[in-house]
Amino acid sequence: MTCPLNGPRNISEFTYGGELKQMPDPNTCSVAEWADYVFNSENRLGVVTEWWMHTASSYWFLAERHTGSDEILRTFDPSELFNQRIDFAVPEAAQ
Amino acid sequence: MNRLPAPMGLLIDRNKPLTFSFDGTTCQGFAGDTIASALAADSRWLLSRSFKYHRPRGPLTMAGQDANTLVQLPDEPNVLADEHQLQAGLNVTPQNVNGTLEKDRDAHLGKFSKFMPVGFYYRAFYKPKGMWKRWEPLIRKKAGLGVLNLTFEPTYHDKAYLFCDLAVIGSGPAGLSAALYAANAGAKVLLIEQNPLLGGSLTYARFSLNANAAMGLREELVGAVRDHANIHILDSAICNAWFADNYLPVIQGNRMYKVRAKQCIVASGSFDQPVIFRNNDLPGVMLTSAAQRLMRLYAVKPGQRAVVLTGNDDGYLAALDLHEQGVEVAAVVDMRERVDTAGLAAAVQAKGIPCHAGHTVYEAIARKNARHIASVDVRRITGQGKVADSSTRIDCDLLCMSAGYMPVYQLLCQAGGSLRYADEHAAFSIQNLPKILRIAGSVNGRHDLQRVLADGQRAAAEALADLGLESTRVEGADKDDSKVNFPWPIFAHPQGKEFVDFDEDLQIKDIVNATRHGYRDVQLVKRFSTVGMGPSQGRHSALPTARLVADATGRSVSDTGVTTARPPFSAEKLAHVAGRAFDPYRQTAMHRRHVELGAKLMPAGVWQRPAFYGKAEDREACMQAEAHHVREKVGLIDVSTLGGLDVRGPDAAELLERMYTFGFKKLPVGRTRYALMTAEDGVVIDDGVACRLGEQHFYVSATTSGVDRVYRSMLKWNAQWRLNVDIANVSAAFAAVNLAGPLSRQVLEKVCTDVDLSSEGFPYLGVREGSVAGVPVRLMRVGFVGELGYEIHVPARFGEHLWDALMDAGKAQDIRPFGVETQRLLRLEKGHVIISQDTDGMSHPTELDMGWAIGRKKPFFVGKRTIEILESQPLKRKLVGFTLPKGSAKPLEGHLVLKGPDISGNVTSCEYSETVGAIIGMAYAGADQATPGMQIPIRVEGGEIVQATVVKLPFYDPESQRQEL
Amino acid sequence: MSLSIHHHAERSPIYELHGNAALTLLGERLFVAGSQSDSEQLQCCALIDLSNLPRVGFRGTDSATYLQREGYQLPDAPNRAVVQASGESLLRLSQTEYFLLGSLHDGGARIASEEASWHYDEGQANYLLPRQDSHAWFALTGAYLPKLFAKVCGVDLRAEAFSVDAVVQTSVARVNAIVVNAGIADLPIFHLLCDRASAHYLWGALLDAMEEFDGKPAGIGSLLDSATSAAG
Repeated sequence: MTCPLNGPRNISEFTYGGELKQMPDPNTCSVAEWADYVFNSENRLGVVTEWWMHTASSYWFLAERHTGSDEILRTFDPSELFNQRIDFAVPEAAQ
Repeated sequence: MNRLPAPMGLLIDRNKPLTFSFDGTTCQGFAGDTIASALAADSRWLLSRSFKYHRPRGPLTMAGQDANTLVQLPDEPNVLADEHQLQAGLNVTPQNVNGTLEKDRDAHLGKFSKFMPVGFYYRAFYKPKGMWKRWEPLIRKKAGLGVLNLTFEPTYHDKAYLFCDLAVIGSGPAGLSAALYAANAGAKVLLIEQNPLLGGSLTYARFSLNANAAMGLREELVGAVRDHANIHILDSAICNAWFADNYLPVIQGNRMYKVRAKQCIVASGSFDQPVIFRNNDLPGVMLTSAAQRLMRLYAVKPGQRAVVLTGNDDGYLAALDLHEQGVEVAAVVDMRERVDTAGLAAAVQAKGIPCHAGHTVYEAIARKNARHIASVDVRRITGQGKVADSSTRIDCDLLCMSAGYMPVYQLLCQAGGSLRYADEHAAFSIQNLPKILRIAGSVNGRHDLQRVLADGQRAAAEALADLGLESTRVEGADKDDSKVNFPWPIFAHPQGKEFVDFDEDLQIKDIVNATRHGYRDVQLVKRFSTVGMGPSQGRHSALPTARLVADATGRSVSDTGVTTARPPFSAEKLAHVAGRAFDPYRQTAMHRRHVELGAKLMPAGVWQRPAFYGKAEDREACMQAEAHHVREKVGLIDVSTLGGLDVRGPDAAELLERMYTFGFKKLPVGRTRYALMTAEDGVVIDDGVACRLGEQHFYVSATTSGVDRVYRSMLKWNAQWRLNVDIANVSAAFAAVNLAGPLSRQVLEKVCTDVDLSSEGFPYLGVREGSVAGVPVRLMRVGFVGELGYEIHVPARFGEHLWDALMDAGKAQDIRPFGVETQRLLRLEKGHVIISQDTDGMSHPTELDMGWAIGRKKPFFVGKRTIEILESQPLKRKLVGFTLPKGSAKPLEGHLVLKGPDISGNVTSCEYSETVGAIIGMAYAGADQATPGMQIPIRVEGGEIVQATVVKLPFYDPESQRQEL
Repeated sequence: MSLSIHHHAERSPIYELHGNAALTLLGERLFVAGSQSDSEQLQCCALIDLSNLPRVGFRGTDSATYLQREGYQLPDAPNRAVVQASGESLLRLSQTEYFLLGSLHDGGARIASEEASWHYDEGQANYLLPRQDSHAWFALTGAYLPKLFAKVCGVDLRAEAFSVDAVVQTSVARVNAIVVNAGIADLPIFHLLCDRASAHYLWGALLDAMEEFDGKPAGIGSLLDSATSAAG
């Protein structure tokens, strides 16, 4: 796999971080939605976006991988998707 | 001796004779011989007995591609005699022999073959249930798998990477031409050859009427390759697999190379294929290429009077070779009606050799002693697999057979390539290869030498283009129309013994019968009949099996296909895989001191830590004494393995609020707070202490085994949150000790003068920065073991110095070190949980009574929503403290807690505590069993059930007065 | 009186593995001195413990500015190094992270003072990383370096793929490590920075891998000579 920071490396140099998932609003979503987010994975045949970390440099990045061919199509810095600060609202009940 | 004059014998050195023994008799060979070639030179053709019927067997391929040549060496069973280099004094014995090789008491087994049909073992010995257990030892003994030397001393094996632009696998004409072409264009080429000699088929095959043409071409190409600065040659090296991105394991000697090639060309050639007829396994019957190898490589005359049975033109060339080397060629039997190459038959006939077109050998007939071929029964072919009734007998002691070629497809199938059978060529070809992998030469269906050479260049040119190097289009590599495979070289005989698979003693009817049992898929045929499962892994049986199964099930050969080829390509030793294994361990800065003090070391993850100080057999006494010392005086423990994270920046407190369950924004500078971490599923995954060293600076500890995960998790979350904070894993950068016990302040005061150590100036849960014994430290007042205590963190370079200074300063207070097991007992007395010992993959904070550690008003922390959902549901189990009287059977970790007939939990920690005067422990129990005073039944070693009493935690100093002194 | 490690508070994680090797002082710090025959050994294959030589890291969006103000020349891309005029190596590990290796010429004094004088400034995103304590530092030298590393590391470190001043962050014998090509005119040198707690293990693993090249441990004397003559 090609690390965006360190270049092509053996897969053993990387740590898998799971599929990229969108967290539902933990304060407003239903219990079922939350359980689906926490416990279920898509496991789709096709191109998926996954978190990977280059272990030696502790660098997290994202990879697009085809689950059928196992081909890694693209790796990129997470700032491409996450470019601004994320904050959580105080739940209404606690205010 | 049976040797031919030079230039025959490329591999042998006639000036270096070697003596060795085989089956108890002394033999002679030359350096460069294999065991089998030296024996052949001595006219010893019988090498082994077959797997099932104990039939006599001799060399078949002379290329290490069959099981006939398996022999036993003193330290190694299952050695291929046609591949293993001869050494002086080698003691070789036959395998799978009951008695001697010449007189095998099990040779009669062949007569019972009709009672041992395909699937015999499965069908005969598996019923009734349990019978296999009785039969297996008997059958295994008969099966002859060689003998292991159990006192064998392992030798050093290792691994190394090799990097190149282009890996070329195989140094036959295609590989040599590809390597040269690519190297000339500037590519760094790695050329991998299985044999000690480069040249592939050029080392033994003839290719043209001119006897010396191939040899001359080989010398020219090999010379150029050897002299080329850009070509790195690995000979006697086998590429045993293809993994994604051209990651190639190549074994050479005691080393496994892990080759990383940008581009790869497989020029692995093709396997000469046998003809299937009765008694085709008799010694003296061999592949045509085997006879050629014997002559050219080892100068061994393969027989006195030969018959050549062929399905293509190459048989005629081999007949000329034999004739020129003084072998009388009794006949060329050509299964085809006519020869492709003009003048070839005439050239052979001109030597007085009769040619029988459209004929086959229907049966090989053995000598009286049944151990060698004596003659062949030759008949006209009248249809697919059918022959005329009239026959001609030809006497011979050598039958060379070749039905055509099968591409060496194994690595290519591992790379995802698929096989397609073209009826017009009666041959398989390989498609759908990855872009970085190409094939050239006969594996690519090219057999004419000029086309093979051009195909090598063509593949190299394509690889060069992908490497970004200059290349031009190569012409002349197209496939021609010539046909090298005879479509049906399979001749069933009413009396059978026409071997499809020599390794497994499988005959035509075995394959056909497997399909009649309903196993129509070739994969199932393999598993039922064991075809292709032997050491040669289908190198000779895959093609005839595909044809037979296709025919018997009315499908095309393409549809039938061959079984999956998986790594490794050839047998590899576990030593190569295990190799020089890397097994990292970590040591703290004080490690030497622990060893000097006689610590009993224990592994803690990858760390080596003192369990206690003393002999292993004194565990209990040492632990109790060390614990007593901490409770009464002062002890010192190395806690350097604790994880440590520096979290700095404007959002440092915000990050901790999100990562840990507690609140940290209001924690004052100079104070610490317990930090509990849950995962998104609400399960407790780590804990530690967060120390506020500044408004924007926290130093957070984490468990020894959990810190890497905690660090990764923080980085991953913040890759999304983008908080303005720096997270640094400083675990290894700090050495640390816990100085604990009522006298600890007295000890510390001697070596720490710049911090107010009074209980007011530095209270429980405080953190200070200062110096101890002249080196900078972070000091924390902690209560893990429940006494007045200081955790002292120091830059690792000073770790040993700090230990020495404290041990020295504590002499007057009788300081003594204590180990991890003692610390576990002390914290158990205080009821503190150890994450991953007292928690499992289900433990959430409520089960641990840790609701107090949760900041409920925070907008978010990882796991918050799940914990809220869990708390709204009834609690199923709870972690409780329990006691048992001294002298009771002591539960061990993992022992079960019962509720009626059901399991309600398990013990997580348990020790005898001298301080408490009882056996104390923690266990999960049903929520309705968790009230102090209740009895919980625990099933201990041997099935005994003890009734433990649930008590309120902690067991010791419930008001926590001692640690707050 | 001969030098003894026990009179020095700072200790290499593997000092006991040096056995009875003669020691020498460089500034205030102790190193294995080495012998006359070392210079030949260095050309062939040698392993030198530099763990007592100062080093420090900085990370943050303001680190580049900070280091430039301190007078350092910075690499313009991650995984590159720049050797400073005064002999220090400055490695860039990511967009915002730097690793400074002290020079043998001053016994690392400049870097040691860099570490001592840094104070956390809440207005600046420039965080010190305690690299001298988190990492051990070995120098490996000689003609066999690429072959040696091929036995312990999966990254291509042949000259054509790993030039002078290139940096890789990778795994060496299954330990996370940073490798820098610090070769000078007539001597190939790689610096290896690895987890300090794993140093004892890695030293042994490296010596085992070096055996086939006649590799041996050496002292700093010859390395210092080579560095001095290369600088001169």
